[in-house]
Amino acid sequence: LESLICRVGEKSNSSLESNLEGLAGVLEADLPNYKSKILRILCTVARLLPEKLTVYTTLVGLLNARNYNFGGEFVEAMIRQLKECLKVNMYNEAVHLVRFLSDLVNCHVIAAPSMVAMFENFVSVTQEEDVPQVRCDWYVFAFLSSLPWVGKELYEKKDAEMDRLLSQTESYLKRRQKIHVPMLQVWTADKPHPQEEYLDCLWSQIQKLKKDRWQERHILRPYLAFDSILCEALQHNLPPFTPPPHTEDSVYPMPRVIFRMFDYTDDPEGPVMPGSHSVERFVIEENLHCIIKSHWKERKTCAAQLLSYPGNNKIPLNYHIVEVIFAELFQLPSPPHIEVMYTTLLIELCKLQPGSLPQVLAQATEMLYMRLDTMNTTCVDRFINWFSHHLSNFQFRWSWEDWSDCLTQDLEKPKPKFVREVLEKCMRLSYHQRIIDIVPASFSVLSPANPVCIYKYGDESNRSLPGYTVALCLTIAIKNKASNDEIFSILKDVPNPNQDDDDDEGFTFNPLKIEVFVQTLLHLAAKSFSHSFSALAKFHEVFKTLAESDEGKLHVLRVVYEVWKNHPQMIAVLVDKMIRTQIVDCAAVANWIFSSELAHDFTRFYIWEILHSTIRKMNKHVLKIHKELEETKARLARQHKRRDSDDDDDDDDRSSDREDGPLEEQIERLQEKVETAQSEQKNLFLVIFQRFIMLLTEHLVRCETGGIDVFTPWYKSCIERLQQIFLQHHQIIQQYMVTLENLLFTAELDHHILAVFQQFCALQA
Amino acid sequence: QGTRYDQERLLRKSCTLYVGNLSFYTTEEQIHELFGKSGDIKKVIMGLDKVKKTACGFCFVEYYARGDAENAMRYINGTRLDDRIIRTDWDAGFKEGRQYGRGRSGGQ
Repeated sequence: LESLICRVGEKSNSSLESNLEGLAGVLEADLPNYKSKILRILCTVARLLPEKLTVYTTLVGLLNARNYNFGGEFVEAMIRQLKECLKVNMYNEAVHLVRFLSDLVNCHVIAAPSMVAMFENFVSVTQEEDVPQVRCDWYVFAFLSSLPWVGKELYEKKDAEMDRLLSQTESYLKRRQKIHVPMLQVWTADKPHPQEEYLDCLWSQIQKLKKDRWQERHILRPYLAFDSILCEALQHNLPPFTPPPHTEDSVYPMPRVIFRMFDYTDDPEGPVMPGSHSVERFVIEENLHCIIKSHWKERKTCAAQLLSYPGNNKIPLNYHIVEVIFAELFQLPSPPHIEVMYTTLLIELCKLQPGSLPQVLAQATEMLYMRLDTMNTTCVDRFINWFSHHLSNFQFRWSWEDWSDCLTQDLEKPKPKFVREVLEKCMRLSYHQRIIDIVPASFSVLSPANPVCIYKYGDESNRSLPGYTVALCLTIAIKNKASNDEIFSILKDVPNPNQDDDDDEGFTFNPLKIEVFVQTLLHLAAKSFSHSFSALAKFHEVFKTLAESDEGKLHVLRVVYEVWKNHPQMIAVLVDKMIRTQIVDCAAVANWIFSSELAHDFTRFYIWEILHSTIRKMNKHVLKIHKELEETKARLARQHKRRDSDDDDDDDDRSSDREDGPLEEQIERLQEKVETAQSEQKNLFLVIFQRFIMLLTEHLVRCETGGIDVFTPWYKSCIERLQQIFLQHHQIIQQYMVTLENLLFTAELDHHILAVFQQFCALQA
Repeated sequence: QGTRYDQERLLRKSCTLYVGNLSFYTTEEQIHELFGKSGDIKKVIMGLDKVKKTACGFCFVEYYARGDAENAMRYINGTRLDDRIIRTDWDAGFKEGRQYGRGRSGGQ
């Protein structure tokens, strides 16, 4: 049954209409035995297959015409499902349900006036007081986004009410605040395409639709073929729908910005691309996004489904697909799906349309390159990752000379910076010589460094360096499989440049000891990641002791950088390992990243990969301990329940205390662990924000006193990196809003920096 | 029958992938970069020719989380590394000795 229903609408020998008619007949016959099952399946496809909306509303319409009661039960089931979705914050699926219900008006299942009444209740949410704007936004969105399907019918039946709804919507849209928008825009420039806030764009589209007298020609409407049958059917009235009230647990969808990169001028030979404010554009984009959402786990199916989107010859489908995919890839705060999915999806699409899609993709790449100067840094990161990974699947073939303009620019400017980072990532997926070979000689200034290790005690000419002899000693000892103790005793002889008096054990912070040991060990283990990891594991004890203090941890990181600054990938994996084996902690990594030694690399991509990876590890750690705590509490509860359900006599009281003891102790310990971890997590974010504020303030003051323009490439990068922290970890940071407002982002702060915080606050306000 | 059931259970919970059809020149670093795109890698073990102890065209990649390994199966399997289409498969778990190629030549 499920398969029959899910497959209707797919390629078949018979027409869609006859398939639907056949299926309606089959289902009608099955109703007496399988009614609840059929209801369930239909409700599910309404929720999960929105790209086939009109196919299923037609089916329901046919069933309703044959069996009025079934129609009524279906509508009730849908309303129940809608309420459930809203209760558990499944707002995206709820929109599909609302749209489905509204299309049922077209199928004569639901009476138009009752749909208008539901929309009246939706729009009246904008009158609620003390609720987040994002709540009102959703109800307005659910109303407006259904109008391409049902606007015509509703306006024909209830034009006065609709006009009132539209004018209420308009006044809401005029008064809502849009402080959050700059934070979500992919480009800071409005040309060639403005990055509109999603409700503003939708409003323009609906206004245009209304001006066109609600004529909408893109949506496939199978029910039109069945008009004679359907208009005989009796309609149902929607029960009055009260939007569930706002609660503390309600989490509404984030606002969005509409990503556009193409218009009709980009494909002059092909069919015309619908304009940015046309309702066709909205419907196409919605449907393509829905297809990706339905099939993202199977890239081949997803590509095939995208390419078989109906209307293939009337719209420049390849351009729409590429635009929608990049829209998701560049979406802020985060893409809806894992980044690597988009890379392989595009490769599959290129395989299926080798004669046309690669060219569109090349055109898109070129356009993105040309607009790098105003592209948000986080989006540039994603562009770098996508492009390098894509090239690695196509032998790194690219017309690099076309980008020679970047060679004459300052290396810190976005275009040369982009090329440098791409080449570095390409190298990571291949090897150094390959990259030298694939770019023209003129690009050598942008080529990555050969990722070799720098050992300061390596040359005889360095023998005057303090610690040189100890380094030699260590080298021999380690090669002879020395133990941690032997290493300690060799290191005892290293003087401490920081203190005059001798320490008994010499285990306080001694930067020279750290230098000699870490340099030597990393040099010996330089052959591969595995060698280095083994080295860290084998001499873990030495590391822990040398890096016991905060200064020690920082210095270890500094030395790692000095040794491996040509090989950022190695630095990243070493830092990861050192955090996981607790040689350094997350705060040390944060402080290291903001230290003056790293200032030269501060805008390089790998630094931010390391920082965000560090934050993610911290977050996962907190979640893990929290989960352990909850599981232990659950075990205790189950134990109590088992005991309570048995028939007890007093003897068991003592044994039950004994049973509980260890579990209760465990819970107490875990509780402490959770609190420590959460406090460490909060501290990490505070350190990061504090350092950003210091760095940015310094720059702003310097510019002001020097009378120079604030907006240097460094500044743009830095302020957008600050934004990135907020956006990428917004759920965690929401917990700290009060502290941030009172401690760090206070009114005395420069308005440039404060603006970032205010934009963030506006996101869920 | 018992061991087959156990084997299937191990595969369903596994966070380890077997990766085949690698170039003999592919390095651990390249594997780390590519497979790191689906999540944090716990360990990479390069396959070795049993006799020559040189690269053998396969490796194991272990993730911390099963979900990350699943994404590798979805999006990295069947794509190119070092210009070769690599294939990934669920592995029941690395055990010492399994990093060596088999057969008389030591390179299978």
